[in-house]
Amino acid sequence: MPSTHTSRVLRSLSAGTAATALSVGLAACGSAASSAAATSADNASTGAVTVAALANGAGTKTDIKVAEVASLHAELPASVAKSGQLVIGVGALPAGFPPLAFVGSDQQTLTGSEPDFGRLVAAVLGLKPVVQNSTWDNLFVGIDSGRTDVGFSNITDTEERKKKYDFASYREDNLAFEVTKSSTWNFDGDYTALAGRTVAVGAGTNQEKILLEWQAKLKAAGKQLTIKYFPDDNATHLALVGGKIDAYFGPNPGIAYQIAQDAKTPNPTRNAGTYSGAGATLQGLIAATTKKDSGLVKPIADAINYLIKNGQYATWLTAWNLSNEAVPTSQINPPGLPLTNA
Amino acid sequence: MSILKPELDIPLDADTAAVAVEVRGVHKWYGGHRVLDGIDLTVSPGEVTAIIGPSGSGKSTLLRVINHLEQPQLGHVSLGGEPIGVRWHRGRLRELSERQILAQRGRIGFVFQNFNLFPHLTVLDNVAAAPVATGQLRKPDAQQLARTLLGRVGLGEKANAYPRQLSGGQQQRVAIARALALRPGVILFDEPTSALDPELVGEVLAVIKDLAAGGTTLVIVTHEIGFAREVADRVVFMDGGRILEQGTPSEVLDHPQHPRTREFLSRVL
Amino acid sequence: MSDSLAPAVPPDTAPRRDADPPGRLAAAQAAATHAADAPSTQRVIPLRRPGRWIASAVALVLLAQVVHGLATNPFYQWDRFQYWFARPVITDGLAITLEVAAYSAVLGLAGGVVLALARLSRSPVLRATSWVYVWLFRSVPLIVVLLFLYNFSALYRTLSLGVPFGPAFWHVDESKLATDMVIAVVGLSLNEAAYAAEVVRAGILSVDQGQHEAAAALGLPRRYQFTRIVFPQALRAIVPSYVNQLIGLVKSTSLVFYVSLLDLFGSVQSMGSTYPGDIVPLLLVATVWYVILTSVISVVQFYVERHYARGALRTLPPTPLQRLRTTLTALIARIRKETAS
Repeated sequence: MPSTHTSRVLRSLSAGTAATALSVGLAACGSAASSAAATSADNASTGAVTVAALANGAGTKTDIKVAEVASLHAELPASVAKSGQLVIGVGALPAGFPPLAFVGSDQQTLTGSEPDFGRLVAAVLGLKPVVQNSTWDNLFVGIDSGRTDVGFSNITDTEERKKKYDFASYREDNLAFEVTKSSTWNFDGDYTALAGRTVAVGAGTNQEKILLEWQAKLKAAGKQLTIKYFPDDNATHLALVGGKIDAYFGPNPGIAYQIAQDAKTPNPTRNAGTYSGAGATLQGLIAATTKKDSGLVKPIADAINYLIKNGQYATWLTAWNLSNEAVPTSQINPPGLPLTNA
Repeated sequence: MSILKPELDIPLDADTAAVAVEVRGVHKWYGGHRVLDGIDLTVSPGEVTAIIGPSGSGKSTLLRVINHLEQPQLGHVSLGGEPIGVRWHRGRLRELSERQILAQRGRIGFVFQNFNLFPHLTVLDNVAAAPVATGQLRKPDAQQLARTLLGRVGLGEKANAYPRQLSGGQQQRVAIARALALRPGVILFDEPTSALDPELVGEVLAVIKDLAAGGTTLVIVTHEIGFAREVADRVVFMDGGRILEQGTPSEVLDHPQHPRTREFLSRVL
Repeated sequence: MSDSLAPAVPPDTAPRRDADPPGRLAAAQAAATHAADAPSTQRVIPLRRPGRWIASAVALVLLAQVVHGLATNPFYQWDRFQYWFARPVITDGLAITLEVAAYSAVLGLAGGVVLALARLSRSPVLRATSWVYVWLFRSVPLIVVLLFLYNFSALYRTLSLGVPFGPAFWHVDESKLATDMVIAVVGLSLNEAAYAAEVVRAGILSVDQGQHEAAAALGLPRRYQFTRIVFPQALRAIVPSYVNQLIGLVKSTSLVFYVSLLDLFGSVQSMGSTYPGDIVPLLLVATVWYVILTSVISVVQFYVERHYARGALRTLPPTPLQRLRTTLTALIARIRKETAS
């Protein structure tokens, strides 16, 4: 059933039927869309979502065929269904965090795996995606105030945030150490290698919790690990190439991107070892974030599960080189980072 | 002074009707300090009155009460029979609006000890500003008037200079021209020569003398006893916020009755 | 020129410095041995200041080292600097910076004048209101003002849907960019007005009391007193402080990313995350643009100050151009003279 995306036809498809049934004949998106609005216009005419556009080497531009699933559309709260659009919040101002959310290689369009996935979810729900970029603070205040429907912005599911928000998980974290190419240090999966080192980490993150645990263990053994915090990736990167820190401990995708970019510069960097974002005891999960009890979390989780079952999810991860972060299923409000960070 | 002569031959203020000033029962105090303590004074149209007295006697405050820069707590001032800053309403004095007070001030010229010329305006604009701003004259007419007045005070050449480029005596003469521009019925001088170098006093006094001869009502607070004797029709001696003695220059200056007057004159003469 | 005071020595035999070193030496010896007979027209030989020469030399060497370091250290990646300097993303950010700063500077100054007048008014209510405003907005961080406004407008928009007379506001809100711009300008102006109020108030207070009295004694209408007499004089004191304020404002526009606007610095930060290898040249690009903006403002300041100095100084200082011309003319004259002799 080429290029048809009426709800009647889609309703006839059982949830398990592969979306590959929606087949060929779709006009490929032409040049990269210059804005979210333009992208959604393409969706309407072709039934495809272009992901990893303008990725600046972080991904492979791919068209993913996807269309509205009427049964999922029916789950939407009345207000969202009536508005016909899904306002997707991204907190990537002023500095982005490639490849997850950043300004693309045309130097003006917001791209990244997170807004791309938001657009895929919107397409399944039959909504027009409206991507809003703001600061990290305003992302949450925007969800609180109802200006933003859902955040797709590498937001980790935590018990603290669960007080105000509902979560639908869609990805997990892998962590890595970034060092300068001239550095001889390697992590080798052993935290004792960190003794006597100075390492930067993002404040309030899952990886910070892991690093703090290692610091405590080293201290007990009479050794020291110094932890530094910087306002954003730019400042961290400057500190790394300037020799102020020995290593940066952060999400693997971001570090992979930085290493690829730095290769061309006088200050190349390299990966000094990876570690599971699950930490010692806990699986950190990245989740779509909605206002608590807004009624949006279930249709979004169902839409994600639809995308997982029908393969678009895997295609999206592949396009962004993030396949190792796949989750088997989207969960609503799974256990998150505990309240106490002890 | 000689340089002024040719231009001062032009009669001053033929178009100005001199008016009478009446001060009735004026009291003024700051907190517990009495500055004016029951002042009554009548100045006839065209009369030249010199007010003398020691520092702090209330001379300057009296002058500032006359044009309502200061408000008296009791009493009032009239100009040509019209109360200044107040009006009679059902047998009581009520304060006028600021706009009305500003309009009344246009009829009272005031010359300050420190000139207070507007430093950012040229001499010509200093003189022409008030008639334009108050709507009396259009700009070209006001500038024509200003040129005439500057000529009269001997400064026709300085129209385009800025005040700071002039000597003190020249600045004070500009200030007098500025006061004349509104064609006031009375001109008040607050120690007009006190801030001047001795050699510049004469040129300013010459201009005032000329005004006196022209028949304008003048009230002059001054330390120049000789000048008071020469130009004043009446000399008023103030001390402690009261008028202790007044009369012709010869009465007050040559035959003072009050012991405070005698004491003051013995110190300054 | 004023040789009449020295009849003992004819003018043309007076020693001329620079032109005639032996003559100068002779004169100096003469002055030393016959101090009493020394002609009063003789030029004074300036004191030699070797310390000043050494300090100047050290400063120049240091400057040269800094320039050399900047130019040759690969850390700065000047080729990338060149690539980024006039990129559309950077110039777009620059345009936002200029737009926000210009609107806020004008509105802030206008608000500051109103607040200063309220503060100096005779009404205790106006005085107190003005004081509280200034106190509040000088206390609250600009970021908080921007965050509050940004989200206040979001709340208000939601509300306005249900309110009958809401559509007017909705209309303003339609253009996303206009909204962000309006919020940014309103936020910066509110903040700027509080500081401008104090600058303007200080300026008004710096005007001599006699000026107020003279204006009042002349019966000038109140508005005229302020606009033509007091304010122009106050501007002499206001301009330098407000320009200082303005330069701060240009830099504080970098906070407008809080309302989802990317100014010059925001663009640099955004590009720095996409191109982490170019962070240093990008920061240099922002720095150089800020230097250019500040320089332009400083030049404008010089001429504005000169304009409002009319009457305050007996003679206005020469402009840099005039100074340059005078120096060149003097130099040419001297060269001609030297070559002629």
